[in-house]
Amino acid sequence: MFRKLHRAVVAFTVVALIITACGTAATPTAQPTAALEPATVAPTLAPTEAPVTGALVVYSGRKEPLIQPVLDAFKAKYPDVEIVLKSGSNSELANALIEEKANPQGDVFITTEVFTVQALYAEGVFENYVSPNAADIPAQYRQVDGGWTGVTARARVIMYNTTLVKPEDAPQSIFDLTDPKWQGQVAAAGSANGSMQAQVAVLRELVGEGATEDWLAGLVANEVTFFDSHTDVRKAVGAGEFKIGLVNHYYYYLQQAEGSPVSVVFPDQGDGQIGVIVNATAAGIVKGGRNPEAAKALVDFLLSGEGQKLFAELNYEYPLVPGVALHPDVQSLDGLRLADVNLAEATVDLDATFDLMEKVGLP
Amino acid sequence: MDSAAQLSAPSRWRFYSNIGKRPMPLPLLLAALAVAAFIATPLVYIAYRGAAGGADVWLRLAQTRLAGLMFNTLSLAVAVTGGTLVIGVTLAWLVERTDLPGRTLWRWLLAMPLSIPAFIGAMVHVALWRPRGGMVPQLLSGWLGYPVDTPSPFGFIGAAAMLTLFMYPYVFLLSAAAFRTLHASLEEAARSLGRGPWGALWHVILPALKPGLGAGALLVALDILAEYGTVVLLRYQTFSSAIFLQLSGRYDRSAAAVLSAVLIVLGGALLWGEVKFQGQARFYQMTGSWRPAPPTPLGRWTPLALALVLLVVGMSLVVPVVVLVGWTLQGWLDTSYAASVWRFSAQGVWGYAFNSVWSAGLAAVLAVALSLPVAYLSARYPRRTSQALARLCQVGYALPGVVIALSLILLVNRALPFLYTTPLIVVLAYVLRHMPQAVRSSEAALAQVAPTMEEAARSLGRPPLRAFVNVTLPLILPGLFAGGALVFLTSLKELPATLLLRPAGFDTLSVRVWITASEGVYTQAAPAALLLILCAAAPLYFLLKREMRKRDA
Repeated sequence: MFRKLHRAVVAFTVVALIITACGTAATPTAQPTAALEPATVAPTLAPTEAPVTGALVVYSGRKEPLIQPVLDAFKAKYPDVEIVLKSGSNSELANALIEEKANPQGDVFITTEVFTVQALYAEGVFENYVSPNAADIPAQYRQVDGGWTGVTARARVIMYNTTLVKPEDAPQSIFDLTDPKWQGQVAAAGSANGSMQAQVAVLRELVGEGATEDWLAGLVANEVTFFDSHTDVRKAVGAGEFKIGLVNHYYYYLQQAEGSPVSVVFPDQGDGQIGVIVNATAAGIVKGGRNPEAAKALVDFLLSGEGQKLFAELNYEYPLVPGVALHPDVQSLDGLRLADVNLAEATVDLDATFDLMEKVGLP
Repeated sequence: MDSAAQLSAPSRWRFYSNIGKRPMPLPLLLAALAVAAFIATPLVYIAYRGAAGGADVWLRLAQTRLAGLMFNTLSLAVAVTGGTLVIGVTLAWLVERTDLPGRTLWRWLLAMPLSIPAFIGAMVHVALWRPRGGMVPQLLSGWLGYPVDTPSPFGFIGAAAMLTLFMYPYVFLLSAAAFRTLHASLEEAARSLGRGPWGALWHVILPALKPGLGAGALLVALDILAEYGTVVLLRYQTFSSAIFLQLSGRYDRSAAAVLSAVLIVLGGALLWGEVKFQGQARFYQMTGSWRPAPPTPLGRWTPLALALVLLVVGMSLVVPVVVLVGWTLQGWLDTSYAASVWRFSAQGVWGYAFNSVWSAGLAAVLAVALSLPVAYLSARYPRRTSQALARLCQVGYALPGVVIALSLILLVNRALPFLYTTPLIVVLAYVLRHMPQAVRSSEAALAQVAPTMEEAARSLGRPPLRAFVNVTLPLILPGLFAGGALVFLTSLKELPATLLLRPAGFDTLSVRVWITASEGVYTQAAPAALLLILCAAAPLYFLLKREMRKRDA
């Protein structure tokens, strides 16, 4: 009698559990949309007037040693703000932001490339804000409605170890990296890396789907080693573990500053070649964040002369706001052939880019 | 209301003579069911999400990823399990059954690597051995004047070696305990029938240890399925790291859920085997006139045995600690830098240590408390239902941190958004993942207390709950504490779930080590890593001390 009752209770609970689980599962989840338009048309935030105080939660995909000095300088300017920094990889934080849309935890998101902010923009994560300092930034490095704003630019370059590769032998085009002569000797970042994602997206615009697929498949076939981060790439090339690395330009300068025998090629400069691909770091204000005033102040600061100068000096980056000097060691982009593509537009079709990388099995 | 009344009312089956047939008290059953439901929810949910992932996702992954990931994951699991078995059993035999010099010291030192998370050990060894760029090849090249190649720590071989180096202590401790409890007569019988010492070891002793070792080996294999940090550092992709990549790369949960579902099935199969082994593990424990077997003299093998022990202790304990201390000192010499690392604010290393300790501590308390109804039911009312519930609570072993994180992100953020924003979600992940350790410890502790003591208290008029609190609880407290210590130790070392679930401003030591190490700033990673090892060494010391006491008793 009792045992029957107990069995019934057990059976009922298990069934109830499964039903509950299925019920929860049935709630619609966020689906990526490829639309350029944000999910809803939000009113644009006005430039900050109110006093800037309180806790400011910054999600940053930038390396901490590079963003901390900038945040410290911001804090010196606004001592009443308490900055809470959550560091991680761009995409890891971006997924958290999407997950938190109904329950926003961050105020500002800072990334190292455009691909991620474009994805978040499509998901409607950002509040529109056109910083007064952003007026002179070229349109291809920002969303015109203020959904996100480029902060600095970086070029995709080829760095090589000078004890292992003579300058005249160094590959002059990213398409040379599939040459069997470099088999197993090239390091790059993998498909989870935003800069690599953006490079693939831009290439699809520039040379088309087929040629991009051939290039990626060629890299895989050529036994390129794919790391999660470019820091690994530059250190491996610096140490001579690999002869060649596909990186952003400042990784080369950072590695050179550590005293490694490395040199750089700004690739694809010849006639008929695609030119060097330029990506941008970016920032966006999280919709529904708790401290929009401080968030606006931070974005303004990133785009101010002081903020731009810090990025240029600490990390060899190209300031996007005109009139800020480059680091003296850094080669200017003036006079270089730059890839003729609108970054903001090229990174719209995220799914096609992901599908392509998965199709060729990019790690 | 109802259940409370029933709990304090005199039980109607108090006078039943046949203990095995007593019905389970309903409140207890309900409590155990609630715990099991809590534990099983993430599993059921992810299994459902995986199954509902859509045929196209399954097809896409089956064509591109599944076979490779399966091969990578299983071959690593097999290699590391084999490696830990060989090293762990050999070392345990040397320390427990031979006349190896310094056995008492080695017994401690060989278990200590348990306090070092494998990914921190791997971080040190990568910095040491990285081809051409590592400290060792650079030092050698400097001395010799020409480039020297050292074996690469990367890839399959590196990952297998590293994980073996930091996971063998599980097998070592299990087999050391088994060697100690073996009756001398087993070996003597084998010897008297003409087997040499090796023959006796191979044909008699090892088979007798098999069930316990099998269980330990499968636990190692389960750990390999869950391992994240080490394989990423060593550039070897397994299911866990692929799920993390899907979770953080593509803005799409279904691929991660599909991979998770496959991983859960893999883990479930291993866990099933492990539970089977556990069931057989008792036959070698003989009662009666127990006496230890005399140690085997090593003779001219002594130097070789010592060299092996020294090599393992050196690589898995001394080298990591010395290198970390070196980096810490190096960072200290740069005063402005040191100030930023050591400052006593929420962002300094002490703040991270505080976060680590309280979250792991709370997880330990919760896990032990939740384990009690399940363990009590299974120990006092052993029948199909209660056993099934206890087994169900073992699923944490088969749920890697990334999978738990994925299910919590999906479940908690939708159902309990207020929880999502607090560090409690990290604690929740620790409880789910490490519940099996608590359940096993509680079961073992309860099994050692005769139910008659509690029944005596009840027959003298104590209500069941008070009888438990007054009589049983004090007796099982040391056992519960051991379970808690184990949960605390493993929660401290947890990386992937913490990485994915931490709210802004809540970084733990392992997260800090991971972030700074992935930026290659070793001088900054080292203080946090050392503190983490120290925090983990305390519960480990307690557990080992308890183990040694058992041996002396």
